[in-house]
Amino acid sequence: MSYTIPIGPYHPALEEPVHANLITEGEMIKDAEVYIGYNHRGIEKLCTERNYIQTLVLVERVCGICSHSHAMNYALACESIAGMEVPKRGAYIRIIMAELERLHSHFLWFGIACHIIGHDSLFMHIWDKREVIMDILEEISGNRINYGMVTIGGSRRDIDDDTRRSVLEKLDILEKETDKLKDIIVNDRTVAMRTKGVGILTREDAIRLGAVGPQARASNFDIDVRRDMPYSCYEDFDFNIPVVDSCDVFARVVVRVLEVYESIKIIRQALENLPEGPINLGVKIPKIPAGECTHLIEAPRGQLVYHVVSDGGKTNHRVSIHVPTFRNAPTVPVMLRNNSIADAGLIIACIDPCFSCLDR
Amino acid sequence: MQQEFKVINITKDEIIPVAERMKNDGRMLLMIHAYRNTEDQPVVSYEYGVGSMIEAYEVTGETTLPSLSSVYDAAAGWPEWEINELLGFTFTGLNISHRLFLPEDLSNGKGQILVTPLKELREEAFKDYEKAKTLVNTLDRDEDTGKEETK
Repeated sequence: MSYTIPIGPYHPALEEPVHANLITEGEMIKDAEVYIGYNHRGIEKLCTERNYIQTLVLVERVCGICSHSHAMNYALACESIAGMEVPKRGAYIRIIMAELERLHSHFLWFGIACHIIGHDSLFMHIWDKREVIMDILEEISGNRINYGMVTIGGSRRDIDDDTRRSVLEKLDILEKETDKLKDIIVNDRTVAMRTKGVGILTREDAIRLGAVGPQARASNFDIDVRRDMPYSCYEDFDFNIPVVDSCDVFARVVVRVLEVYESIKIIRQALENLPEGPINLGVKIPKIPAGECTHLIEAPRGQLVYHVVSDGGKTNHRVSIHVPTFRNAPTVPVMLRNNSIADAGLIIACIDPCFSCLDR
Repeated sequence: MQQEFKVINITKDEIIPVAERMKNDGRMLLMIHAYRNTEDQPVVSYEYGVGSMIEAYEVTGETTLPSLSSVYDAAAGWPEWEINELLGFTFTGLNISHRLFLPEDLSNGKGQILVTPLKELREEAFKDYEKAKTLVNTLDRDEDTGKEETK
């Protein structure tokens, strides 16, 4: 018997509203359709009515998880149009925040994935460890989310020596705890049974559909904006890009676990070699000349694209935001095919979707 | 280090040959952006990652363009689909089976709270309010008469 099963827009396995229609044959999913747009807030339009500093505050609110990535990318695009050069200390602080954000985003995803597969004790352990990162973020910026650390021309807050030492100590604790969690996540039978061989996305499909970020790297497609198109000061750091070739949900777990270690490595290098000097250019209301720029950064979930057009006036002429979920969402119907209905929630969640970002 | 960004103006006929050349060279289609410029002319910009640089191929003044979905599949199809729904540009050859933003049963957006003008929403709310007021009055009356009867 063939059935169409709707999931969403509101569903216990979904953190945010999205609507998927699963066309099933018995227990197996044969096809799927995805509808988005339930979280649309008109942010792109609002951007055209605000000045550059106000827009910075607005774009930080596109997403609660990757707020810094949005603000940083917008600032980088504006600086590129205006030809500004950010002081090195400011750029390092931005990178520290970006990598901390990647850590807390990945830990959040591990937790949610464990919750969906029914391993709630592991979910609680992971979110407990995530608090260490949230504490670091709060110590540096004063906020747990929406850090407000970026301004056009650099960073808004400095990291003093005491904070630097304290963060380095906390990173040691975090790394030890991650070792323990890694052993459980990688060797646990429940995790393996629910994730191995589920939601296959082959390398060919990943390239064809334009998958990005950890989703692409788990399908043996080696891309990372931080290495391929370096921005800010990423060329100063030594880090690896983990790539896994098993193409299933388990591969996506492994890629993210390995990325956690690389992010810790980057933060440590940045804190230890934090250059002296100013943190920003001291521009209060920047003047952006007429021009346009597309800027890419590697957000926790993959490539984040900002297209900013300025007409030389006080406000933006056009800001276009495309998030990694927009690139990864077309892969979901492909991954759902020939999997059981019980795995649908996990497969939708495995791209680490952010529908607030997606709908802007 | 700053990412380099370069704009190259092309015509509508060059869109497919450029895409095919990029595809053969193994370049990624990063995104397709569209907007109306200060002279209210439509601009569609196809951005490719070429080494560590972003190359934007821009077509100005066209609202009917060939679709790149035959070359780049969903990586081009989804951005084109979005532009089609939000800006009304047409992409010939793009297979649109359903709406991307919000499903069909919202009858093309009609009746949806986000797209209904505020005036209509107010009128609707006022009608509901009037209806509710009449209903409450009738209920009150019934209740009063009921009480009297029991008395």
